[in-house]
Amino acid sequence: MSEKSISRRAVAIGGGVAVALGLGAIGITVPYLLPHKYRSSPYDDLFAQLIDRDAAVKVGNAAMDNGTARPAIADLGRELRQRFERRTLAEVINSDLAQGKLSEVKGWVLPETLTLLCVLAAEES
Amino acid sequence: MNAFIDARSVPAGTILEPDLAIVGGGPAGITLALALAHSPIRIALFESGGLDFDQATQALYSGSTTGVRYLPLDASRMRYLGGSTNHWGGWCRPLDSIDFEKRDWVRHSGWPFGIEELKPHFKRAQTLVEGGPWIYDDATPEMAALAPLLKLGDGGVYTSWFQFSKTRDGVLPTHFGQRYADDLKRIPNLKTYLHANVVGINASSNATSVETLDVATLSGRRFAVRPRLTVLALGAVENARLLLASNRVASAGLGNENDLVGRFFADHPIPRDTATLVCFAGEMAGYYFNAAQVGGALIRATFAPTEDFKRSNKVLGSLTTVENAVEMSELDKAAVVTAALAVGADASNAKAYSVGCGLELEPDPERRLMLTGERDALGMQRLRLINRVSDSDFQRYRDTMKELGRQLLAAGSGMIRLNYKTRAEWEGALDWGDHHLGTTRMHDDPRQGVVDADLRVHGMSNLFVAGSGTFPTYSASNPTMNLIALTLRLAQHLKGMMR
Repeated sequence: MSEKSISRRAVAIGGGVAVALGLGAIGITVPYLLPHKYRSSPYDDLFAQLIDRDAAVKVGNAAMDNGTARPAIADLGRELRQRFERRTLAEVINSDLAQGKLSEVKGWVLPETLTLLCVLAAEES
Repeated sequence: MNAFIDARSVPAGTILEPDLAIVGGGPAGITLALALAHSPIRIALFESGGLDFDQATQALYSGSTTGVRYLPLDASRMRYLGGSTNHWGGWCRPLDSIDFEKRDWVRHSGWPFGIEELKPHFKRAQTLVEGGPWIYDDATPEMAALAPLLKLGDGGVYTSWFQFSKTRDGVLPTHFGQRYADDLKRIPNLKTYLHANVVGINASSNATSVETLDVATLSGRRFAVRPRLTVLALGAVENARLLLASNRVASAGLGNENDLVGRFFADHPIPRDTATLVCFAGEMAGYYFNAAQVGGALIRATFAPTEDFKRSNKVLGSLTTVENAVEMSELDKAAVVTAALAVGADASNAKAYSVGCGLELEPDPERRLMLTGERDALGMQRLRLINRVSDSDFQRYRDTMKELGRQLLAAGSGMIRLNYKTRAEWEGALDWGDHHLGTTRMHDDPRQGVVDADLRVHGMSNLFVAGSGTFPTYSASNPTMNLIALTLRLAQHLKGMMR
């Protein structure tokens, strides 16, 4: 191998580091580049809509810290399945926003369904 | 030119007999004098201070406060020519038409006239504050061309615009004393007395008219004024004080048969860091943080509730400004990532900003000024302010900010964190605008207001009050330019009366 050639593996690592550094500069995404492995859950189909499950779990844990009563997981899952029936996350979120269905998590104003999904993700993590 | 007269040199026992006495040389008093220039009305203007700050004069403002933390009464206003424009920030925005309406969700609301009564006077008021061309909410296209607006989804909050009084040397807005001193001297029908404190109004025996005013100086000189008409233009706090203290004939004070003078005091609470606004795109246009020069005006963005939202959600006015960038915690970043991804936005450059605001309070008769037994150096009773803010005042603003958060997410442009929930949190962040309002409120019914629609004190034939103390509701807009417009309307009325 010539000195100028770079292996595919090196490129991948280098690229990953560059993305990490770039995103690290804004301080948002680095922790989420290395997602946890989550145990299998009956709600994995719902969680599949969460692009960054680590972040969602943090939000979910914060929501449960708010002091509000925790819903039973089964009830929450059932409720979310109803809301997502034949709809994407974006559609459900848009519907929440249009209807003013909002919740607060440590002051953050979030669409209600997104918060519920985060709570379920936290419960199942 | 008529040189200003130092009241300390007026012979004791003198009785001046102008047609009109203007008591107070702040923005309202100076505006009134300028508006009546070159009329046949012989005017005398009495200003407590001189041309500069003087501690002994300022101390005449001292009083006490109880209740919700408030600034000392001698720190929230200025007592020399130009009045409180001497520490003015220069923020201008006209009242909204809904501010004049009687609203069933706002107790004691309703002006005796609509915004149409002030509109003819806005442009002159804008000229006097040197605010540049009248642009305000027509600024949106020009500002958007300058740099992108933060997109808001359809809803109850919109991007509105402040304008600013002209800055001098990049810092100071129009200080009416400095700016208009020479203009006042050029008015042939005006005599301006400095260091002249009006300490009492002597009414006729049936308290239906002003007969004389007592003037005192800190040097001990005393003389009197016998005007045909008197306009109090001392600011909302001091107007109430003088009316209450003028109690030789009417024991409760003048204009106070219905125990309204001094009640309904208001200011604009300015809680700091009320929310964190995240802009998914990162940088926001500079006009959100500082005034930008556009078309000869200085303009800055603010978020305001629409009239429809005020009606449907029963909220009051508020003006929210973006202040400075802030750091985000790990939870903040998680919330931003989660929300941005959910609405299909790219938050990889997201930045967070602290926002502040000015709030409109609901009129409250128990938020009030009262005389105390203490007296100042001139023998006038000092004031005590009982200050209150209701939980609903905070909650209404919170509802507005929540709506802004909803609109940001709907537009995929950003999101909001509400920083305060409890009363203690709100009060801990509370600052005030030094916008004294409401103590001599305007209403057609003497049982509900101190002055009528012409700003004449109910029951008194020749006593008027100028300034924002006459506002029955307060808006969230800064009062100076608006009180000047109202004073110009008063000038028109007085001209008609004295023709």
